[in-house]
Amino acid sequence: MSSTRRDFILRTVLVGGTSALPFASDVFAQAGGGRNLVVNVAPEPSALAIVNGLPNQIVNANIFDGLVTYDSNYKLVPQLAQRWETSADGLSITFHLRPDVRWHDGTPFTSADVAYSALEVVKKTSALGANAFAAVKGVDTPDAHTAVLRLAFPAPVVWSYLHGQQFNIVPRHLYAGSDPLTHPRNASPLGNGPYRFKEWVRGSHIALVRNSDYWDKQKPYFETLTFKIIPDAGAREAALESGEILYSPHSPVPLSSARRLAKSKDVVVDTKGWEGLTKVFFFDFNLKKKVFQDVRVRRAFAHAIDRQAISNVAWFGFAKPSRGPIPPEQKQHFNAEAPDYAFDPKKAEALLDEAGLRRGADGVRLRINHVNHTFGEEYRRAGDLIKQQLKQVGVEVELINYDTATQLRKLFTDRDFDTSAIDYAPGLDPQIGVIRRFWSQSIKDGVPWSNGSNYASAATDAVIQGIVDATDPQERKKLIDRLQVLVQQDLPSISLVNINLVRIFSSKLKGVDQRPLGALSGLGDVSLAR
Amino acid sequence: MTSERSPLWRRLLRSPAFVTGTALLALSLVMILMSATFYRGNPLSVDSPPFIEPVTEAAHPLGTDMLGRDMLAQMVHGARVSLLTGLVAAAVAVLLGALLGVLGGYFGGWVDRACTRITEVFQTLPQLLLAIVLVAVLTPSLWSTMLAIGLTSWPQVARVVRPEVMRLRQTDFVHAAALSGMPPLRIIWHEVLPNVVPTVVALASVLVATAILTESALAFLGLGDPNLASWGAMIGAGRSVLRDAWYVAAFPGFAILATVLAFALIGNGINDALHLRRR
Repeated sequence: MSSTRRDFILRTVLVGGTSALPFASDVFAQAGGGRNLVVNVAPEPSALAIVNGLPNQIVNANIFDGLVTYDSNYKLVPQLAQRWETSADGLSITFHLRPDVRWHDGTPFTSADVAYSALEVVKKTSALGANAFAAVKGVDTPDAHTAVLRLAFPAPVVWSYLHGQQFNIVPRHLYAGSDPLTHPRNASPLGNGPYRFKEWVRGSHIALVRNSDYWDKQKPYFETLTFKIIPDAGAREAALESGEILYSPHSPVPLSSARRLAKSKDVVVDTKGWEGLTKVFFFDFNLKKKVFQDVRVRRAFAHAIDRQAISNVAWFGFAKPSRGPIPPEQKQHFNAEAPDYAFDPKKAEALLDEAGLRRGADGVRLRINHVNHTFGEEYRRAGDLIKQQLKQVGVEVELINYDTATQLRKLFTDRDFDTSAIDYAPGLDPQIGVIRRFWSQSIKDGVPWSNGSNYASAATDAVIQGIVDATDPQERKKLIDRLQVLVQQDLPSISLVNINLVRIFSSKLKGVDQRPLGALSGLGDVSLAR
Repeated sequence: MTSERSPLWRRLLRSPAFVTGTALLALSLVMILMSATFYRGNPLSVDSPPFIEPVTEAAHPLGTDMLGRDMLAQMVHGARVSLLTGLVAAAVAVLLGALLGVLGGYFGGWVDRACTRITEVFQTLPQLLLAIVLVAVLTPSLWSTMLAIGLTSWPQVARVVRPEVMRLRQTDFVHAAALSGMPPLRIIWHEVLPNVVPTVVALASVLVATAILTESALAFLGLGDPNLASWGAMIGAGRSVLRDAWYVAAFPGFAILATVLAFALIGNGINDALHLRRR
């Protein structure tokens, strides 16, 4: 073992914040700070700055701040931007930046960094970013602390893509003239956030140190912040239990272990902080099959499938029954008035009878195949449950497991299946993630995670086009509500459960961000309870 | 010691390995019998609360798993899948392996070289990996699993049969048959094969054991037929709840251990009984 590695281990043994150690400043002690905070991210990031990926962003959030963050109602909260305003025509958004922010090398943070990152990084390096910032045609910088986004057309979707881990603002003086995606500093980033990058020993740890020049003067509360890399889930579980690591946000252990750990007083196991990134697991009908063209059959299936049981049994309670294509946590878009289908096998049987699918002598009224989603054991358990629940109403389901490549080909190219289950991330705005599931334009052979049910309805298409074109947020909200009503009525696809990643951290930690994108916030506000 | 003239079955009954193996195998057979009698329903139906501990409720002697499926029902139906897979896969392997081994060993020359090359190619491929690829391509089901295991485990048989046939080829009775004008295929069928059978039977028993293990490994990895109860799949599903419900993975684990051990012991027993004269 090399001496540096041994030193590292020795240092990390002192973790847990026993306040026996003398602190650099009394401020820390008063705020419950400590010398070292050791946390974990799994799997090991592929890069830190710019390159998307949740583990990357979890670490990166400590090194970079963004223009704004979102509160639990998705209202903007100032971070690097102190305030902002939109012009009357909706074609420009002006951000007034904090004047006292410096990059970790001392260079002042200015509007030029914002302009560069919007035009050269977000729009060019990320598919999601290019989509969300499609309307952004330029950024004016009238002075060092004012950045004006110029839009080609009013685009409300921009407001959903301003968090620092979406719109990652990087130092222009280092990146200008290079290809941002392959820039060497992506692995040793220079940011403006609460912690500075120190070193990344692959396979071992990523070490950050306190940024003493941080604009939010008292923060952060630790001298060092170390992300320990622990590849094995069992070892992560033990490290969390023993307090060797105090925070691990990216579903570090299997759900069965999370369920067990949740009973412990020493750790907090919850899905808050991931609500902004909730995934929806849904059941698609192949509408090319005649039997599913009858909406009564589709509604019968919705009544026959017990979504609560799937949440409780397949996800051990770490998922919630869906109420439609948009998760309720997204309060600004969710429509509680859209039709819902309560678990009611009797009603399901009545609907199937009505549709002419009567039980045969063997009790079976319909035989179908179902392409399982095999991403993890939760999904397999869900497939087993769906099979058993449909059997209760006389539908005999044959489960088919494919490898991912074959699965996507069968669903989105060959369209060779009766029913299937798959999940998607709806995104902070339906335009980012939801409309692809119902738009006839997104029935494109070979494009995965699109409209798998082959649903094409003129009415729904018109509403979706309206959402894309809308300029007025009120009018757009009405269309988003309407979309939810239409797709819950037509039901080309049953939204089953909303899945959140799980965060596990020590109950000694104070100030862990509980907002919908909290898991992608840094640990700048986190301290130890005394 | 046992006289080598005493009949084979008597020598077998005196072999402790064979007797123990047969007794263990009887366990699996009892389970299959139960699946056809007391547990005829669908073993995967979810009809009880999850995580009922074993020996706490009369209706579920071995408890229920994380979905609320009866463990015993899954165990007895798993026995069916395991044994069927083991036997069919071993049969496929024996047929293929014996065919190539006999052809190569008897005819020699370029036929032998071709057969040996084919065997070597298959031998150099990792068996489990090849089986995984085959099952993934063919879509996981009981039949694809059997076929994949059979197609990947025959080289062993060919390697054993070929030298045996080469040895028999030089024996006087084969020479005599050839001189009397018997066509080669008849010689193989009537003179060579009957003498190869005992060796192959001993090997086949071990093949069944490995096939059961491979089937479990595939099911554990999620490549089994999702519509059937299988021991490997039970372990795969139970692995994640090992700390709260050890029995979900442990019972099928013991079942696999017992069955594989049974076939291995039977194979050893047959081998000992056959080869006494060579000691």
